[in-house]
Amino acid sequence: MANNAIHPDQIYIEGLANNNSAIIQSIYKKFVPKVVSYIRNNSGDEDQAQDVVQEIMILLFNQAKANKLQLTCPFDAYFFLLCKRKWLNELKKSSNKGVTIDEDFASNNEPTEEMVTQTEAFEEKQQLFDAMFQKLGDKCQELLKLSFTIKSMEEVAEKLNVTYGYVRKKKSLCIGQLTQWIQENNRFKSLKIT
Amino acid sequence: MNEERYIVFDQYLQDELSAEEKVKFEKELSEDPELASAFETFKELNLHLENKFGNADEFDSFKENLKSISNAHFKASKPKVINFKPWIYLIAASVTVLIGLFLFNPNPNFEDFNQYENAYFTERGDVDKNLKQAEETFNAKKYKAAIPFFEAVLKEKKTPEIQYFYGISLLEANKIKDAEVVFNELKSGTSIYKNKAIWSLALSKLKQKDYKSCKEILLTIPSDYEDYDQVQELLKELD
Repeated sequence: MANNAIHPDQIYIEGLANNNSAIIQSIYKKFVPKVVSYIRNNSGDEDQAQDVVQEIMILLFNQAKANKLQLTCPFDAYFFLLCKRKWLNELKKSSNKGVTIDEDFASNNEPTEEMVTQTEAFEEKQQLFDAMFQKLGDKCQELLKLSFTIKSMEEVAEKLNVTYGYVRKKKSLCIGQLTQWIQENNRFKSLKIT
Repeated sequence: MNEERYIVFDQYLQDELSAEEKVKFEKELSEDPELASAFETFKELNLHLENKFGNADEFDSFKENLKSISNAHFKASKPKVINFKPWIYLIAASVTVLIGLFLFNPNPNFEDFNQYENAYFTERGDVDKNLKQAEETFNAKKYKAAIPFFEAVLKEKKTPEIQYFYGISLLEANKIKDAEVVFNELKSGTSIYKNKAIWSLALSKLKQKDYKSCKEILLTIPSDYEDYDQVQELLKELD
């Protein structure tokens, strides 16, 4: 992938990552109304629009926090497409209700679509990681939770009443287990863009 | 599971390998795509867990902030919209420059938010004199006078309802410390006065012009609180 220049709208991403109320408010003011009217014109209501927007904002926060969000297209188009696709997915999930979607998918705005694809891949990966984490035994889950909250492994050992050497090894192996599951997971393979 | 592999991964990430081990490991990575891809995943997982657990507080406060902004936005979009003309902004902006931010965006007043429901403790034929007096003085907004009656009632029987109205009276009579003790007790309970108590704590901070704490407390009130409208209104004014 070519390293495109970062778009000035990156300020919105930074603002989300820093929990900057003024920026968040301006996103609502400037970009959300369009999403709302789209959803209302496509079998949804305002409450559903509110939920979709909130989900996307949380996703962007997470991706920005993981330092994986560098905007190479205008925020407006990117944000709208993300919300729109999320909404269409929700409709699909409950499609037995017989919805009508007025659809013009042939937007050929490449940088925007590329950004949206990246963000959606990030979301899917996060969900996969979380699902695998849930598969771990209680011991592993607890140890990892502590290791990443407390940070000092000496303290973690103390808290769990075991030796430092043990927690270090166990942590490696717990993450190792996750690594192995994920390697085996086909979903992940198809997602990999590296 | 190839245990040794993951132990080395972690040591490498923690920068605990010797110079030689490091070179050896990096060479292996470059020659073995399977190993390299496992290491990539291992690294990503570390990042993911770091984000998930290490930044959990940050994430929670973002979510709360987002929720209140979102609620304010969607609520505001329904009723009347005041159409400001751009030149009014210009004037307002220059006024701001002249007089300072303070007047342009005045802080909310305690007096705008301290409306309470009336107390209805007694039924006809009820004979608890103190309770009756407490109710009457409270509803007449003679809060200072109501305090001793409430105290007498509470000595006999402590209920969250009486505690709540007692707390309000203390707050209104400027016995803020005592009021906060009462509200905090209700807050840690599970009665239906729990959220009202949290709201009252926020009002108490507002009264002391401690806007920061006020806002922090408001953000902890769940959105299903019956008077959430007021919470949002006050939050909006605090911003």
